[in-house]
Amino acid sequence: MCMANKLFFIRGLSLALLLANAASAAENGKWLDFQFPHDSPVLLVGFSESPMTVTPRGSSVVLDLHKSLTLRNVGTKPICGLTLRVEAQDLTPYGKGSVIKPSLFVLPGEEFPVKVDMRLMRPIAAAKTESAMVQVTLDCVLFSDLKAYGPDKLNTHRTLLVYELEARRDRQYLARMLDNGQLPELREELNFGIQDYGPRQLGLELLRGPRTATLREQPLTVSPMTFPKAPVQPLRGAAQVAGNEVRAPRVEVLNTSKMRVASVAMGWIVRDDNGEDFVAGAVTSPVAIGPVQTSAISESGTLRFSRSSGQPMVIDRLMTFVNDVQFSDGTLWIPSRSDIDSATQDPVLRRELATSPEEQRLATIYRRDGTAGLKKELKRVTLPN
Amino acid sequence: MNTASHPAPEILSLFSCGDLPFFLRLRTGRHVRECAVCEQQVTALRSAKSELRREASAQILTGFEAIADWHSLEGDMLGNIRVGVAASRCIETVGRSRKLGTRLVWAVSMTALFFAGWMARVPTEDNQRIAAALRHAVGLDQPLIGTIVRSTPDGITVRSQGSALTILHPESAVISMSSPSSVTARYVDDDSGQVTITNVYGQ
Repeated sequence: MCMANKLFFIRGLSLALLLANAASAAENGKWLDFQFPHDSPVLLVGFSESPMTVTPRGSSVVLDLHKSLTLRNVGTKPICGLTLRVEAQDLTPYGKGSVIKPSLFVLPGEEFPVKVDMRLMRPIAAAKTESAMVQVTLDCVLFSDLKAYGPDKLNTHRTLLVYELEARRDRQYLARMLDNGQLPELREELNFGIQDYGPRQLGLELLRGPRTATLREQPLTVSPMTFPKAPVQPLRGAAQVAGNEVRAPRVEVLNTSKMRVASVAMGWIVRDDNGEDFVAGAVTSPVAIGPVQTSAISESGTLRFSRSSGQPMVIDRLMTFVNDVQFSDGTLWIPSRSDIDSATQDPVLRRELATSPEEQRLATIYRRDGTAGLKKELKRVTLPN
Repeated sequence: MNTASHPAPEILSLFSCGDLPFFLRLRTGRHVRECAVCEQQVTALRSAKSELRREASAQILTGFEAIADWHSLEGDMLGNIRVGVAASRCIETVGRSRKLGTRLVWAVSMTALFFAGWMARVPTEDNQRIAAALRHAVGLDQPLIGTIVRSTPDGITVRSQGSALTILHPESAVISMSSPSSVTARYVDDDSGQVTITNVYGQ
């Protein structure tokens, strides 16, 4: 047997053993496991799955897992949002994932689907353990009274609260338009009214540790964008920028309210060298700020931006705004629609700031089912007074 | 033994040297004493033998005379030996260098081939895992450096120690950051019409 044949034989044998192992493990449910506490307000009542694919890659194996869960609200209150925690034993504690379903309105006894699509790459020689390689656990459930259930290890209770408040704001905004017969404005709002509009997509990388300075870092002033009625106002900021990397952004904020602030989520907008603005997201920082006091919010690490095609994006300008504020009593502030409208004259940027998950969902319904479909959906998800 | 039955010439030759067996020597000696012809032949043989011995001695003396200048000869021989040894060393060095060169070229070629094959076939994650294992083996564990979370058109990936977890999303998903250590994708699920938000966290 020549060397090439031996190698082919060994690879074939390894693959066969691996596939046999994968099939055996799949039968025993060892790849993926779901855990819902016994007192959970949602229960797993069924799931459908696409065939799991196992692909060798070098000395590793790539597993593609696709599951569509059917969950039932077995509690007594409507569910408005839910977070599932996804943990792979090979990456614990360095990495994990989550699947969030915001803007729900699931009444007691109703069922709803949650899809979990993931890919796990692990060394073929990695140790086998008794527990499942990927564990999906209920992390947080938000009810219509804004109370929550679950261990909330990922701190998504606050995130679900913000999504729910945005959803209620946008439902009211659209319902008012319908009630007032502002159909052209509604069409413009939900069709986006701007020709060829599509969400501006970014590629992101989070980097850690000391970086090799391949490009010269330059200080960049961060421009504050203010919402008039925000209880916290950004004053000034700075960051180090090198090409498509932003390092150590820092912004000084002022609490203009009479309440003690517990945390602030700062939104970031990146302008590229073509003058296009991209909403890069919002980062929540736990920061205690007394009434009429200032404080500095800074982030460690490096963020690298690219276009969705992977081409590096040259950063020309950085802007920041207060996305939401949580006070020490647990209440939350989010910008109103009029706050957003008055913050910027750029219609595309205004649209991106205003597009909440709920507006995105309702826009899909409006495009598919028209005004009648939107009315029906708004009626379904509106809480009775 | 009478004259009509003379011993054979080789018997007489051996008798002249005293090399015959005992009884044959007694009988041959009695014949030689009584036979003048055989006595004359034995005498001739013994005379020739003596002559040969004398000539042989003379030749040996001549050979020693030829090497009478021993010191000169020793010098020549040592010189020749040194030349031979030096020449052998020269040849040996030349051969060794050539062998070393050949082996070095072979080793470099095989190493380059190995690395080319490794880089072409083995994923980056495996290399990172091997590097991490080596660092761990020599006690040089360091905090994680480099990319910890990355978005791609079809998912967000976190990597560590040779393993990677990707939460997949459709290409239409909008990517943003949600914390200093997490990246988020948001999309409307075509089947259910619901919004799904996936997060991937790194440390």
